[in-house]
Amino acid sequence: MEPGHDNEVAGAAPQFADTCTDPYLRCAFNGAAQTALGVSGSALLAHSPQGCDYLVNNAFASQECDYMETMTLCTKLCVDEIVHGGEDVLARTIRDAKDLPISTLFVISACGPEIVGDDIVAVCEALQPEVRFRLVPVPCAGFRGSQYDGIDIALDTILKRLVKNDVEKIPGTVCLIAPGANANPTWIADLDWVRQILSQMGVRVVATLTHRTPLSDIENAASAETSLLLSHDAGQKAADYLSETYGIKQVCRGIPLPIGMTNTQRWLTALGERFDALKTAEVMVAEGERMVMATCRRKMPMARFLYRTPAAIIADATVGIPLVRFVTEEMEMTPELVALYTSQRTVRDLLEQELKSLKLNPKVVYGTDVYKTRRSLLEVKPKVIFGSTIERHASKGLPVAYVVEVVRIMRQFRMINREYFGYTGILNLFECVQNEWTMGWRSKERRYEAKW
Amino acid sequence: MKKDLLVFHGNLQQLLDKVEKGEMIPKLQASHAPMCKFFTAYYVISGIRHVVPLVHGPTGCPLYMSDFVRTRECCEIRGVPLEPTACTTLDESHVIYGGEGKLLEAVKEAYAKYNPDLIVILSCCCSGIIGDDVESIAREAEKLVGCRVLALRSEGFGGDFRSGYEDAFRLIMDLMEPPKKMMKGTINILGARWGPSPTEFNWDMDEIERLLGEVGIKINAIIAGGCTVEQIKHAREVELNASWCYDWGQKLGDLMQERYGIPYSKTGQPYGPEATKEWLLGVATPLGMEKKALEVIAREIQKVKPDLAYLRQALSGKTAIIEISEFPGPIRALSLARMAAEFGAHPVVINVHPYTIKERMPSIKFLLETGVNPEIILTKGLFRLGTFRSSKETEDELEAIVKEYDNVIFFGNAGRFPPCPVVNLTLMNPAFQPQYGFRGIENIAALVRQALENKDLPRSRLFRGMLYGTRTR
Repeated sequence: MEPGHDNEVAGAAPQFADTCTDPYLRCAFNGAAQTALGVSGSALLAHSPQGCDYLVNNAFASQECDYMETMTLCTKLCVDEIVHGGEDVLARTIRDAKDLPISTLFVISACGPEIVGDDIVAVCEALQPEVRFRLVPVPCAGFRGSQYDGIDIALDTILKRLVKNDVEKIPGTVCLIAPGANANPTWIADLDWVRQILSQMGVRVVATLTHRTPLSDIENAASAETSLLLSHDAGQKAADYLSETYGIKQVCRGIPLPIGMTNTQRWLTALGERFDALKTAEVMVAEGERMVMATCRRKMPMARFLYRTPAAIIADATVGIPLVRFVTEEMEMTPELVALYTSQRTVRDLLEQELKSLKLNPKVVYGTDVYKTRRSLLEVKPKVIFGSTIERHASKGLPVAYVVEVVRIMRQFRMINREYFGYTGILNLFECVQNEWTMGWRSKERRYEAKW
Repeated sequence: MKKDLLVFHGNLQQLLDKVEKGEMIPKLQASHAPMCKFFTAYYVISGIRHVVPLVHGPTGCPLYMSDFVRTRECCEIRGVPLEPTACTTLDESHVIYGGEGKLLEAVKEAYAKYNPDLIVILSCCCSGIIGDDVESIAREAEKLVGCRVLALRSEGFGGDFRSGYEDAFRLIMDLMEPPKKMMKGTINILGARWGPSPTEFNWDMDEIERLLGEVGIKINAIIAGGCTVEQIKHAREVELNASWCYDWGQKLGDLMQERYGIPYSKTGQPYGPEATKEWLLGVATPLGMEKKALEVIAREIQKVKPDLAYLRQALSGKTAIIEISEFPGPIRALSLARMAAEFGAHPVVINVHPYTIKERMPSIKFLLETGVNPEIILTKGLFRLGTFRSSKETEDELEAIVKEYDNVIFFGNAGRFPPCPVVNLTLMNPAFQPQYGFRGIENIAALVRQALENKDLPRSRLFRGMLYGTRTR
C-alpha cells in the first residue's frame, strides 16, 4: 500500500463522496483551545476525557505558552460522568482551581459532555460567586467543525462575553484578528511583523484576538477604529461582528496577506491609505524591496535557477493563496497545483481572483486531505512542492525534486520564529528553498572509502 | 526524612496495598492526565502494516496520531511509508441522526482508496455515546470489501490507557488462524506498538532480536510493531510467545496461553545481566535451546566483563534514587531498581504515580513475585494541580530527599538537578541506546562513568532556569 506502488496509477483522481478522509485540519475543540490560550493571565479547563487534553497541549504549543505562567486542567471524564453527567466533576475542578492567580478561567467542553448535555454555562454561572477570576464557558465540541470553526466559536464567545460596550473610540487604532489561524509554524513572527509596521505607521493595536492578550485589552476591543484580519481561514465572522456591533471597519479586506513583494506592497499601501500614512507605506515598500534585492545580490539565492519549474502549493489559505503570486512572480515558477485545506466561499473567491489576475490555470483542490493531495500530485507531477512534511512522504515514488517545507514542519526545527509576511519573510522563504536545494544536491552515498 | 514533603514512604508491596484499597487516589481531578483508551488502542492497531485505522469520530481524535505518530515517529524517524490515518469526520448532524450509514460508506471508500490488508474501525467518544453499532457495521462491511474489517470500541472515556491496548491486542487475536503447522524454534514477540515499526524504541528491540538470532531462535511476528496481517494469521504456529516489555505483552500472552495453549515466557525487562539472562533463558529453555543460550550468555558476559566490574565497583554501597519522569510509568523504574540492586546499590524509586500503579497492577504483582520490592517515595508535588509539566515542586522535593541519603547516585534524566551524580538514562539520546541486554550494559556503564567522573562539573544554569525558573525556594 506504499504510495507510488501497486495499484497506484497516474491520472485523474477517482471521485469519492469523502465519507472517509485523512484530514489536515483538527477539530473545533482544538481551535477553541488555541484561541483561549492566547489570553494571558488565564488558565484553561478542558471539560473532557483525558485524551482531549492532548489537543490542548497542541494548542498550548502553537500559542507558545509558558508552563510556568499558564496552567491547563482537565476534568478527565470517565464512564460514570458520561452516564450520570459530569457537571459535579466540573464544579469540583473549578473549586480546586479557585486559588490560581489568574484573571480568567476558560472552560471548554468536548464532544462527550456536550452530547450527554452537561450545561457548562450554568455550572460557570453557579460557581462564579465562589471564585475571584472570571469564568468563561466555551461550548466547543470537536464535532462542531474544524479547528478554524473552533477559532470562530471561541472568538464569538470572547467578543460577546468580555468586550465592554461603553468604551470610547480611539482614532488610529486597530484590532488584530486570528493571527494564529496561520499554518506558518512560527506564525508569531508574522504577527510581530504586522505590529511593527503598524507601529511605524503610528497605528496603535488595541487588542490582538488572540496572542498574549491581557483581559483588559479584550475588554477594550470596541475602542478600536478598525480591524485587521490576519488569516484567510478563520476570523472573518469576528471581523463582521465587530463591524456590525461596534462599527469597527475591516481594512485590507479581499487582499491576499503580505507574502512576497507585490502582496506586501498592496497590503502596505491599503493600510497607508486607511491610516493617512501612505508616504510611510511607500518608504517601507521602497526600503523593503531595496533590502531584499541587495540581500539577494549578496547571497544569490538558488531559487533563480527554478525558472518556470512546475510547482505545487499545498497549504492553508492563509499561506497558500499569497504564495501563488510569490511563487509565480518573485520566484518565476509555475504553480500547476494549488491544494488548500479549506474551501469556504471567501477562500475560493480570493484564490480565483488571484489566478485570473496572474493568468494561471492550475489544478485547484479546495478542502484537500492527504489522499486528495497524493492523487493530485500523481496527476500533476510537479517538480517542486511548497507544503508540509506530509507531502515529503506523500510524494515518495514521484519525480519531485524539492519539497519545500513551509507549513506544519516536522523535519526542521526553528528556535527563532521566522515570518513569511513582509520583506524579511521573502528572505525566509528563499532560505527554505535554498536549504532544500542544497539537501537535494548532497551526495547520498560515497563512491569509495577514504584511505585514512 | 522531611515528612511535610511526603505522601507515601514504604515499599512497593505497601504501595500496592494502598492503591488496591483505593487510598492513593489523587484528590484533585485535574492532577495528571495520561493518554486515553483511544490513543493506546490506536498505537497498537497502527503497528500492523497496510492497515487502515478508520477513526469513527471528528477530526480531533486522529490529531496526535497523524502528526506525531505517523508523520514524525513513523515516517520521519523509523523509515515507515506514509499510510492512512482515516476518519469519518463526524459533525453535528451525525451526532443527532447517527453515523452508521456514513461509517459503512467510509469502509467501502477506505478499501477503494487505500487497498489495505485490514481495516479496523476505532470508535471514539462521539460515536460511542450516540450508540453507533460499530461491530455490526464491521460485519456488514466485511461482506462488501476484499479484506477483514474489525471494530474496536475505544471511546476515550471508556477506560484507562491500559484497557485501550489490551482490547486492541484481544481484537488482533481474531485474525489468528488455527495452526496448519508448527514453526520449530520460532516465537512471537508481544506487546509492541507505535506505527508499523519495531516497537517504541528500535534499539532495544534490535538488541533482543540480535540475542535471539545468536541463539538461533526465529521470530514470526512482532505484534504489533510492524507485523503483517499474514504474520498475525500464523501467530498460533509458534512454539512460544515472549514480550519485549512484560507489561504490554502480558495480556495478549496470557490470552494466547489460555485460549490456544501457547506458552508465554514471563520475564521482566532485560536491564542488567541477571534480567537479560532470565529473559533469554525464559525463551530458550522452553524451546530446548538452553545450552546454546547459555553459551551465548557466557560469550556476551565475557565481552562486557570490564563494564560489569566497573558497575559493581561504582554502585556498590550507594543509594540509587530512581525517577522515570520522561515517559512516566513504573515498570522501567522498577526494572532499573532491580539492576541497581544487582550491582550492590540500595534502590529508592521516587514518584511513580499511583494512577500508573493501578493501571499496571498485574505487572506490578508479577514483579513482586520475582522479588522486586524496592523502597518507594511519593511526594506531594506528584499530586499537585495541573500536569507533570509543572514540575518545579517535584524538583525541589527530589533535591531535598537526595540530601537525606548518604552516598547517592541519581538514575533519571538530565532534566533534574539533584546534588549528586546524575545518570542520564533519557530515551531521547540515541548515542547511548540500547539500554536493554548486553549492549545496554555497555551503555549504562558509560552513563554511570560519565555521571561519577564528571560529578563536579557545573550544571547548566540555562537549562535549570528554562525548566524551573530562576526563583529559588
